[in-house]
Amino acid sequence: MSVTLDEWFVVLLARTIRPSETVFHGFGSPCAQVAMHVARRTHAPDMVLVEGATYAVNPEPLFIPPTSNDASLTHGAAYSMRFEEFFDAAVRGDVDRMFLSGGQIDRDGNTNVTAIGPAGPGPADRPKVKLGGGGGGCNLAATIRHLTLWTTRHRSGRTLVETCDFITDMGHATPLGTRAELGYAGEGPQWLVTELGVFDFPAGRARLRQIFPDVSVAEIRQATGFALEVAGDLRAVMPPSSAELAVVRSVDPLGVRKSEFSPRELSRVFTGGAAQDCAC
Amino acid sequence: MSLQPPRDKRTALADAVALVADGAIVALGGGLSARLPMAMVRELIRQSRRDLHLVGSAHSIDVDMLVAAGTVRRCEESYVGFEQDIGLAPAYRRAAEEGSIEVAESCCVTILAQLRAAEMGLPFLPVRGVRGSDIGRLHPEYAEITCPFTGETLVAVPALRPDVALLHAPVGDRYGNLHLEQPYVLDERFASASRAIIATVDELVSPDEVAAAGVVIPAHLITAVTEVPYGAHPSSCYPRYAYDRDHLREYVAAAQTGPDGAAKYLAAYVHGTGSEAGYREVIGAERLSVLATWSESTAAWKELFA
Repeated sequence: MSVTLDEWFVVLLARTIRPSETVFHGFGSPCAQVAMHVARRTHAPDMVLVEGATYAVNPEPLFIPPTSNDASLTHGAAYSMRFEEFFDAAVRGDVDRMFLSGGQIDRDGNTNVTAIGPAGPGPADRPKVKLGGGGGGCNLAATIRHLTLWTTRHRSGRTLVETCDFITDMGHATPLGTRAELGYAGEGPQWLVTELGVFDFPAGRARLRQIFPDVSVAEIRQATGFALEVAGDLRAVMPPSSAELAVVRSVDPLGVRKSEFSPRELSRVFTGGAAQDCAC
Repeated sequence: MSLQPPRDKRTALADAVALVADGAIVALGGGLSARLPMAMVRELIRQSRRDLHLVGSAHSIDVDMLVAAGTVRRCEESYVGFEQDIGLAPAYRRAAEEGSIEVAESCCVTILAQLRAAEMGLPFLPVRGVRGSDIGRLHPEYAEITCPFTGETLVAVPALRPDVALLHAPVGDRYGNLHLEQPYVLDERFASASRAIIATVDELVSPDEVAAAGVVIPAHLITAVTEVPYGAHPSSCYPRYAYDRDHLREYVAAAQTGPDGAAKYLAAYVHGTGSEAGYREVIGAERLSVLATWSESTAAWKELFA
């Protein structure tokens, strides 16, 4: 059995979801979107899956389209929330997990999807690159219980940075203070999945916990803009089960997940791994 | 504006869009690739509107095209772009980087609270969040307050009362009753919070038909209604048509080359077409009808996105 990096990556994101959680992805997030459907069809059948722009609850899409706001993403859903219903649920603390990415991510798990370079109200604050923007994250990151962060651009050396040029969505701490100091009930980033490895956040700081088999710690250190902390029990990421792989392929027949990866990453193929029937 | 008595509100597109003044705060309905008020966007550009302050949640070609045409002074959305599939919004990005527009990037939750304050006639509502994010730095108008009951620090965000909201629906009647499909995004909130609401519909039908389908936005909130078939193109308007991904790509590719590329696109599809009938002619009846094939089969639907 062979596995491509994009398939494996989506499975890793899916595994961050726990059974029974209410989970949301932002729009324009195909990997997280596919991952949520993979989780629901494998280890988390009783999760409450809320689509990122249609707010459909537990839909069974026949395929994932390249835009988040498409009626195909409501297929099979008995109910779609209104915009207000979803955001109200999230800010009152009824959503357990959200997936967030960023053009920049720092060690505290703060993310930037607003601008590279300066950004502010004044004329001197012209950004070098204006990114798309944060959707609802600036409020949701405060109250949604857990955050799963991800990036497919770790290797660029520009994504995992010492300091974000702009903090769109708060991680564990910003110069203003910690979550506890700001009175936020959300617990912040729990996982950061990259195309090179998986980080957790003990004490609120990113720590390398798992690593892909074709990558070295030295490579990861070189690609990481903050001082790399490595877990004492660092291990290889667990291969996908055959069930997980089959679901990735059937949920995403158009391969929209691939739009997040560079050609180099898409060429990574793993063969003959110790794939198991079950990831438990 | 106070609630509107029932009357025939059918208005020609040019006259309806003429209600939008230079410098107006304009709310854009729909979101991302769905139900964007594109016919009105194109008409605003044909009428050379200036200094608009755009507000909305997550948007794409509507905002980018208005920026490319030089109609915008200030952008206040939570996102402007074409998602992972097509990427950053070229004209919006260029204008932000050159400093030719003010970017007051916001957050879906904050905009929702600001619209609700306007709907309730309140000067502000508080949100929990924002602190810890730099988004607050883009909004000197926000203020921290202490809750008189719990002592919590919250962020007060002022009421947002757009001068005009531009909404598109698949069907409506001559009084302005609108039926639309989920997601409504912020359309209902814009309809209550704004001073005037201009609607386009793909088809004007009888009041009985709208009532049977379900009135989502009632006539008493509507100022003017105009029938414009494919008025959301190249965004989708289900259940009638899916989005035109190839056309979005064509726009982005043109606008990415710079102001000249964007100007060429606008000359071909906006100024040069003269009207929405002209626009549909340039896009082609065959292309437009293909977008309606999504409902024939899963294969046909997938084919539109392959």
